[in-house]
Formats: sequence, structure tokens, C-alpha cells
Amino acid sequence: MANTKIDNRTWWDTLHKNGPFDLKLFLTTKMEKSSSGLSDFERYKDAAIEIQRLIQLALDSNERFRAIGSKWSMSSIAHCKDRMHYNAFLNLKFPIFEGEIHPASSYEHNNLFLFQSGNRIKDISRFLERRGKSLKTTGASNGQTIAGCISTGVHGSTIDSGSVQDYVVGLNMITGPNPEDNIYLERESRPALTDTYAKNFATVIIRDDDMFNAVLVGLGSMGFIHGVVVESENLFLLRRYVKKINKKEALQLANTLDFSTYDPKIPDGNFKGVRPFHYKVFINPYNTNETKYGAEFIYKIKYYDNYKLDFGEPIPFQKEFVYLDLIYLFIKIAEKFSKSIPTIINLLKSSILPKEEKTTVGKLSEIFWDAGYQGKAFACSFGVDHTNASKALELMAKVTRENPVPGIFAMRFVKSSEATLAFSKFPFTCMVEIDGIQWKDNDNLISLTDYSTKLIEVLKNNNIPFTIHWGKNANWKFPGLINHMYGKNVKKWKKIRAKLLSIPMQEVFSNSFLDSTKLSEPLAIDEDLIV
Amino acid sequence: MQLIKITLFLALFLIMTSCYSVRLQVSNGVWDPADNERNDPYAGYNVQTIDTIISRKITTGKHYFNISNCESGALHTVEYRTTFGGLLLNGITLGRKKKVKIKYVCIMENSM
Repeated sequence: MANTKIDNRTWWDTLHKNGPFDLKLFLTTKMEKSSSGLSDFERYKDAAIEIQRLIQLALDSNERFRAIGSKWSMSSIAHCKDRMHYNAFLNLKFPIFEGEIHPASSYEHNNLFLFQSGNRIKDISRFLERRGKSLKTTGASNGQTIAGCISTGVHGSTIDSGSVQDYVVGLNMITGPNPEDNIYLERESRPALTDTYAKNFATVIIRDDDMFNAVLVGLGSMGFIHGVVVESENLFLLRRYVKKINKKEALQLANTLDFSTYDPKIPDGNFKGVRPFHYKVFINPYNTNETKYGAEFIYKIKYYDNYKLDFGEPIPFQKEFVYLDLIYLFIKIAEKFSKSIPTIINLLKSSILPKEEKTTVGKLSEIFWDAGYQGKAFACSFGVDHTNASKALELMAKVTRENPVPGIFAMRFVKSSEATLAFSKFPFTCMVEIDGIQWKDNDNLISLTDYSTKLIEVLKNNNIPFTIHWGKNANWKFPGLINHMYGKNVKKWKKIRAKLLSIPMQEVFSNSFLDSTKLSEPLAIDEDLIV
Repeated sequence: MQLIKITLFLALFLIMTSCYSVRLQVSNGVWDPADNERNDPYAGYNVQTIDTIISRKITTGKHYFNISNCESGALHTVEYRTTFGGLLLNGITLGRKKKVKIKYVCIMENSM
């Protein structure tokens, strides 16, 4: 039997120490051991029964319940004051065989895999690579769980592949304590698995495009994600090169994403006119005299076994980090003297930004490898239509110069997602983001909430439609924020949530983040009819 | 005089505890996770520690430690830490006593 360790706690924090947050109980479920003689499906089903038991306990106690992964989100989206469930030990993996594919499916069976929700990106990549497969894209690193990634919309800068949720084709959701609350959900227009196969782990099968798209970026509030069916692709290599390019050119590429005549002039490689797999621009907001920006170009190339002989190891033998104590010392100085921030950023620039003029070739999992612990970090990440990229950057950088904070900007680009509440909602979304180290509020330095409020206001006042990364820092209580960003999709999302979860279960799967954003508020009866 | 004593004591303490550590890690393994609240590179890692003083007899040596709590049977990270105090102990005892401080993280079960 799967068993759960229940720890009494008083507080919990994110990986990047964006809390602390109050907490009563921390739950860790471990599955029956593989030596138990149970098949993997039996272990998977056994874990589902345990999760349903925990949901019942939360319901009986009138308490909230929330699954967490690797706690990489910097917003409070993962937090719940009552019962938090640590998913990391739910890491079973299943290949899908030929007879298990739905007759109307266009997916190739050898590209599909079912992963239990606690599988981390690194774990999944290893599993796929041994089968000659790869994920289509990841975030900038590999520590997040698959369920955490899709629930918050984790993205890289893979222009034409989208975010992690965009290659998910099926979801096993646990929406309550009863047998019929174990659901397999996929799109009606793009079915993936046969009913017989899905019945291995779920009681009810739903094929519904609108429901699938709403649940996909579900903010941890559509039930407990127990399994995720992912479409992979054949293994490929990525060729990465970072160089300084003319500022005007970098912004022109951002605004148009037109690479048809652009030549990145990468040594020993002709990529003129080739659309990169990934394009990212780094910007120091405090250096207005900068005529060149750091730009990262990554091109997709065919996989071959001996690539390391040609290009060397993609993962460095010796990895170095800036001393956190040194960074914290700089932040202490910045807290006292806000004018020192531009100097500090310039001092740390070479440690923060990727090394230039160096070709690296590796698999997706090697290029976007382990992120070292960065300490107390913050990040504000806004999505805008890529045609507004340079305008949004200019406005946000100006706010930052007027209200200095210890961070630097980057721009990444993501294809539109079908998920109802995906922040990558524009045809191509440019994520304009500032990452840095947390500071303490004081008279000399603006608070993070006030800073992010100013970023929201400047985009609103300049009529630039925007979204905000669900897992990043923002003033999430900004009046009308969610409706401003998602319009009628908010009602659509709420309506699906009400369809999927009973009223008591909506409460169980809510948290203070959902309350602040008003997403936990049910639709009024008349609104419910209109949507 | 009191101040000098305190300063000397502090300096001695710092020298004895000053250390260097070497950390080895497999690049393609998945670490055993833990929801801990650490503020160091082991944040999110389930770290185990061996902290002991080993005594060598004249006729025996070449100690090794058996790690039996890695369910996967594999190691992800090993950190060996040496302090000046530990080196001193080894020198004073002519190599008979050695301070050993090792941190390790297992590979996660079901990830291989």
C-alpha cells in the first residue's frame, strides 16, 4: 500500500524563499516499493486510492489541499495554508504501445508516454533519451515536476514549440474522493488513448476540447493531476551560440521574429536565414548607452551519436557559482544606497550572463541542464505580443531605472498555447522578464509589490495588452488584473472548473492565490448561463 | 589583555574550522528530492551526512564506508570536507585518527 507521512509544520517556503507562508500539515506519499510484486499499474492505482483518501481527510476537516512539485514558483500559487502534498515520489513512467492508441488518433504510439505527476523534467528526459526520444521543449532548467510545469505554464524560448503544456495530450485527474472522481481527460478533436487503456488507471473518460484546454493550465486548482500523457519527438541536438549583436538588430528580430535574411555569423556553421529553435535577448536596464545586447541563438540539428567528439562536453566539468554571501553583501549595499544598483549589476554582469562566443552542442536536456541554487531570487515576467516587444521593454526598463531593483532583463519568445489561461496567449508571446535577487523593503528601495504594480500600470497606461507568468512575482491583488489579461476566458475557465469539481471540492482545491485573483469566486448564476 | 585573548581564541577557532570541500556530482542522474528549507546548493536535495573520527590501527587501514540507505543503489553527489582542525588531528596522532565529514545524495529510486 502507498503510505503518507504527515508532518505538522508551521510554515513552508518556495525554493527561492519568496515566503515564508503559514502551513498546518505537510504530506508526503510514497508508493508501494517495486519489490512488492505489484505491477506498475497496480502501484499507480494504489497511489490514486491513497490520494483520494487524503482528499477525503481534507474534505472532512473543511481544509484545503494542494499538490506541490519542486516549489520553483516564486508567486504563492503553490502554497495552501492547510494541507500541502509533496508529489516528488510519484514518478512512475509508462510507454504507450501500438494497440493502446485511439483508432482516430493521429499520434504515433512510440512518441506517447504516460508520466506520473511527480516526475521531474530531468527524470523524464533521461527516460526518453534511452528510447531515442526527447521532450519538445522545457523551461530554462530541469528540476520542475511535469505537473508543476503545466499547471503554471512553464516555458523556454522555443519560438515554434510553445510551452510545456503544449505537448500534453492527456491528463489523469483526481477531482474528489469517490471512484468516479478518477478521470482521464483528453481532447475530443485529438484523442490519444483507447478507452481500454485509459481504464487501466481511470474510472471515467472524458473527451472534450474546452475542458481539456481549461484544465491544462489549471493553476493547481482543477483537482489533483495524477498522470500526464506527453507527446515526445525523436532525439535532436541543439547548437547554442551567444554573442553581442547590434541593439537595433536584436530588437528588430524580437518585434518581427523574421530571421529570413538574418545571418548570426556563427563560426563553422551557416545559419543565414534559418529560423532558430530558440532566441533570447539579455538587457541591462541601467546601461542606456549600450549599443549591443547579448543574444542567444539556438538551432536544432539532426542527432548523431558522436557529437561530443566534434563539439566537446556540453555540460561543464567544473561548475562555478558566485558566492551567495557576496551577492547578499551587494544587496545589503543596494538596500542602503539604491544608486549603487547599476554599478553592482555591472560588476556581476559577467557572472550572471552566459559566456559569449562559445559554441555548445548537446541534447535538449544538456543545453537546459541543472540550475544551481540562486538564493533568494525574484522574477517579474510579463507576456506581450512579440510585435510590442521593444516598446514593452523600453517602458519596463524606464520604470526600473526610475525605481532601481537588483535585476536584469531578458526577452524570450513562445508560440501561442491553446490552454484557456495560458499566459502565452498571443500568436507569439514575448516574455519580458526581470530576474534578480530579493531585497528588503525600506525607504531607499521600492518594494517588490510596488515595483510590479508600476510595471502593470505602465503597460496598461500605454495600451499594451499583457499577461503575467503565473509562477512569478507580481501584485496579484491588482484590481481587475485577471479579467484585464484574459477577458472572457476567465468565465470559460471558471465554468469548466464548476463542471469538473463539486462546490465542496472547489473549496478544497482553492488557495489564497486563487482568492486574491478572484479565480476561486464562483460565477453568478446569470453569468453561468451566458458563457 | 582580555580583548587579545578573545581575538586569539576567535582566530584559532576560525583557523581550526576553516575548510575546503570537494563536491562530485553525476551530470545525468536524478537526485533524491526533499522538501527542505536549506539555503545552500542542497536546497531540494535529500542530503545524508557521515561525520565521524576514524581510528586506524597499526595493522589495518583503507577504511571504506558502506552506504545502505540509497534505495536506488546509486549516488548522485558526494562532498568531502576537510578542515584545518581535522588535518591537525591527523598530524598530531601521526595519522592514527582522521576526521571524516562526507555529505552525499542518492540517486532517486525509479529514475534509472
